[in-house]
Amino acid sequence: MSDRIAEVWGSRTSYPAGGDWPARVDEFVEDGVEAGGVDWVQSACVLCSNGCGMDIGVQDGRIVGVRGRSEDRVNHGRLGPKGLFGWQANNSPDRLTTPLVRRDGELKPATWDDAMNLVVDRSRQVLTEQGPLGMGFYTSGQLFLEDYYTLALMVRGGIGTPHLDGNTRLCTATSDFALKETFGTDGAPGSLTDFDSCDTLFAVGHNMPETHTVLWSRMLDRLQGPDRPKLVVVDPRRTRIAQEADVHLALRNGTNLALLNGIQHELIANGWVDQKFVDAHTVGFEKLASTVAAYPPERVAEICGVEADDIRAAARIIGASERLVSTCLQGVYQSHQATASACQVNNINLLRGMIGKPGATVFQLNGQPTAQNTRETGANGDLTGMRNWQNPAHVEELAKLWNLEPAQIPSWGPPTHIMQILRYAEEGSIRFLWITGTNPAVSLPELHRIRSILGQDRLFVVVSDPFLTETAEFADVVLPAAIWGEKTGTFTNHDRTVHLSEKAVDPPGEARPDMEIFIDYAERLGLKDKDGRPLIKWRTPEECFAAFGEATRGRPCDYSGLSYEKLRGGSGIQWPCTDESPDGTERLYSDHVFNTQTEYCEDYGHDLLTGAAHERKDFTDQQADGRAILKAAEFSPPHEPPDDDYPMLFTTGRTAYHFHTRTKTRRAPQLQAAAPEAWVELGTTDAERLGVAEGDFVRVESRRGYLEAKARIGGVREGVVFAPFHYGYWDKPDQKAPTAANELTSTEWDPVSKQPLFKVAAVRVTKTGRPVEERS
Amino acid sequence: MKIDEAIQDVQRAETELAKRLRLTGERHAVEHDLFHLGHTLARKCGEHLDRLATVAGKYGVQAESAPAAESPGLLETARHKASELLGRSEMTGMLLLRDLRELYLRAQEAEITWVILMQAAKACRDTELLEIATQCHSETELCGKWLRTRIKETSPQVLAVG
Repeated sequence: MSDRIAEVWGSRTSYPAGGDWPARVDEFVEDGVEAGGVDWVQSACVLCSNGCGMDIGVQDGRIVGVRGRSEDRVNHGRLGPKGLFGWQANNSPDRLTTPLVRRDGELKPATWDDAMNLVVDRSRQVLTEQGPLGMGFYTSGQLFLEDYYTLALMVRGGIGTPHLDGNTRLCTATSDFALKETFGTDGAPGSLTDFDSCDTLFAVGHNMPETHTVLWSRMLDRLQGPDRPKLVVVDPRRTRIAQEADVHLALRNGTNLALLNGIQHELIANGWVDQKFVDAHTVGFEKLASTVAAYPPERVAEICGVEADDIRAAARIIGASERLVSTCLQGVYQSHQATASACQVNNINLLRGMIGKPGATVFQLNGQPTAQNTRETGANGDLTGMRNWQNPAHVEELAKLWNLEPAQIPSWGPPTHIMQILRYAEEGSIRFLWITGTNPAVSLPELHRIRSILGQDRLFVVVSDPFLTETAEFADVVLPAAIWGEKTGTFTNHDRTVHLSEKAVDPPGEARPDMEIFIDYAERLGLKDKDGRPLIKWRTPEECFAAFGEATRGRPCDYSGLSYEKLRGGSGIQWPCTDESPDGTERLYSDHVFNTQTEYCEDYGHDLLTGAAHERKDFTDQQADGRAILKAAEFSPPHEPPDDDYPMLFTTGRTAYHFHTRTKTRRAPQLQAAAPEAWVELGTTDAERLGVAEGDFVRVESRRGYLEAKARIGGVREGVVFAPFHYGYWDKPDQKAPTAANELTSTEWDPVSKQPLFKVAAVRVTKTGRPVEERS
Repeated sequence: MKIDEAIQDVQRAETELAKRLRLTGERHAVEHDLFHLGHTLARKCGEHLDRLATVAGKYGVQAESAPAAESPGLLETARHKASELLGRSEMTGMLLLRDLRELYLRAQEAEITWVILMQAAKACRDTELLEIATQCHSETELCGKWLRTRIKETSPQVLAVG
């Protein structure tokens, strides 16, 4: 295997359109370990939403390496740098091994009994004083399906609060909502094999070479092989994918919607619309056509800061495509008018009739490996099994499954999103917050505000985590969690592929799987069904998975035909998997009937500008009934435009070497060495104007905070500043100046998906020359 | 013909709605969605008045424009002040609910003035006015729907806790 830090995507294995992506097995084991003595345990990678099939190498009860599964449909044996090296965090000596309880202001080791009793006592107190709406829960995109489903039942059914969200709100809420708006329910329409046969790729705000390295390998093998597909890229940065593009639209951040309206304008004006498909399988075309008519290329060019001819060229490529795959990621989801823009990408594929067949689909991709499962289980902004909170029949189904009165399940409003949960904590109506496997003290916007909320005395904070994160520093109780490799469970990637991940080793010390912690809590708290029996009926992950199969029977994400037994061996199975389709389902909507029947849909939709929730009658008025919904929206300018004081636009993003807030990847020596510290990217002329040279220290400042880091010159459009969001403080507690990008971002979210915006803040940049500690 | 009165009613209602949207957005700046959307929708009210101005003269009505927003610097200051003064108290909930209800009524009032104007435009066969009124009406109606959604989400937390 090549040096996979230097060669992130490994060697090329090119293949023609419609061919099979050749297998290439990537493997990494610790120095000094003989491959012969290693036991391999089936799993999949948890360091991005691609979910590559991998085996965990075990020797003497310890993880010693990983290798890709060559037969796996997702990765054909490949692993990216994070997958190859990130597992070393499991063995890290600073894993939490006992519960910690805050006494006299300091976290001190405690027994599980002491810690859990404290958590339960405080829960009872808050339930008595505030009621169930005084309780909040915030989970991850890193746990397993079984953890989430148990949590969803415990919180929504047992405690009866709507205040449960996942940090998937930061990565895939817009994906979820855009799919619901257009197709009626969540669920990726396509298959990763669509990349094998497409003739055109349209990537919007998706830095795939850094975020989904193995998927990028697949694309690169097409792009550098025979029958090269055309590639159109929308991104303010000159990323690796942008460098491969036929047309790169380096637009001003926050203007996606105008650009996508402009492309649709061209598709319609030039007759590059599959009108037969549109007439038969969509509603809303007239409104869309009249809306985008106001976005001719010249006007869009002015709004977006790109060339009108480039917009035309991009539209021409998309308009001539015969097999179009479009993808979106955070450049859309975390930017201004997020859901509205993501819906326009859906529209583009629908206008071209490019969906539900090989090589033609739209991917509203995910970020985290198990984000799809928070959505399916109802551990974020949805109800279990993609049910509609506004549909009483759906709530009754859940109540029946859980043996509860329907009124026990909060359905008077949508599940509460994290920014609102924190607002309730800020004003004091939420007094108990349990955070599992995530690090809001680094990952949420406007960090000084987040810290001040988490730091309140009146808020009782429980943190379950494998490590003492920046967030754990605010906890009253810290519970040591077992992670991937130390527990059995399943998770689902961004093309609906379900993988089983077996327990390979014991967790360190007294660390326990999250599902067990939740069951323990529910029992201690005495959560019961309506007949007075314990609420949670399962004890093992396998029992939980079977229960979830029943909970999803007949719903889009139907797991009823899946079992652990079926998932063992093999290569992952795509839901829906039922008695009728026992091998899973490669593509949704291959009959071009969408999930927009009123009784079946997951959501009645929203107004894209304000987020006003449509009610049942609004939805039925559209008469979609199996047709996809083309949703239109006008461009409106971002809320914090650059001005004299803060003249530049700030955007945040990722590197291939780190995941989220680096809790795992910082503990993998190869990854840490590859990207040891924060940096800032500036355009060439901006750098000249500011007198900043490569490697100079700069200060980037918004109205809310600042960071200092070394500058890299080039790679972004003029007027834009980029910083990676990974770099918090746990590994450098004495650091003199902030490095977290979210010190600068603003408290704002998309009105529909409620995804916080990380791509549109006004900032100013100054050269400091040297790091703080060296300045006088 | 008394269309001038219907136009003036719309002007008054939209002006009042814009003012209320800004006021509520600023008073509850710690509710960040209210702050941002309040200002966005207040701008929309201004756009409605501008569009109406293109036909108002025909009926002898003077053009009206919405009160301009303050500069971002002042807003920012107001926001931080409000946040410090009110943001950490549960009492803000009742105030928020009251302000949202009041704002909702202003949006309803604006909505019905557009309905009245649409009816008049139809009877007078003024297609230009009808087109403007129809488009503005649907946007104003959305403002009310947004507030309805927001109120439905807010009221349980304000009223059922404690």
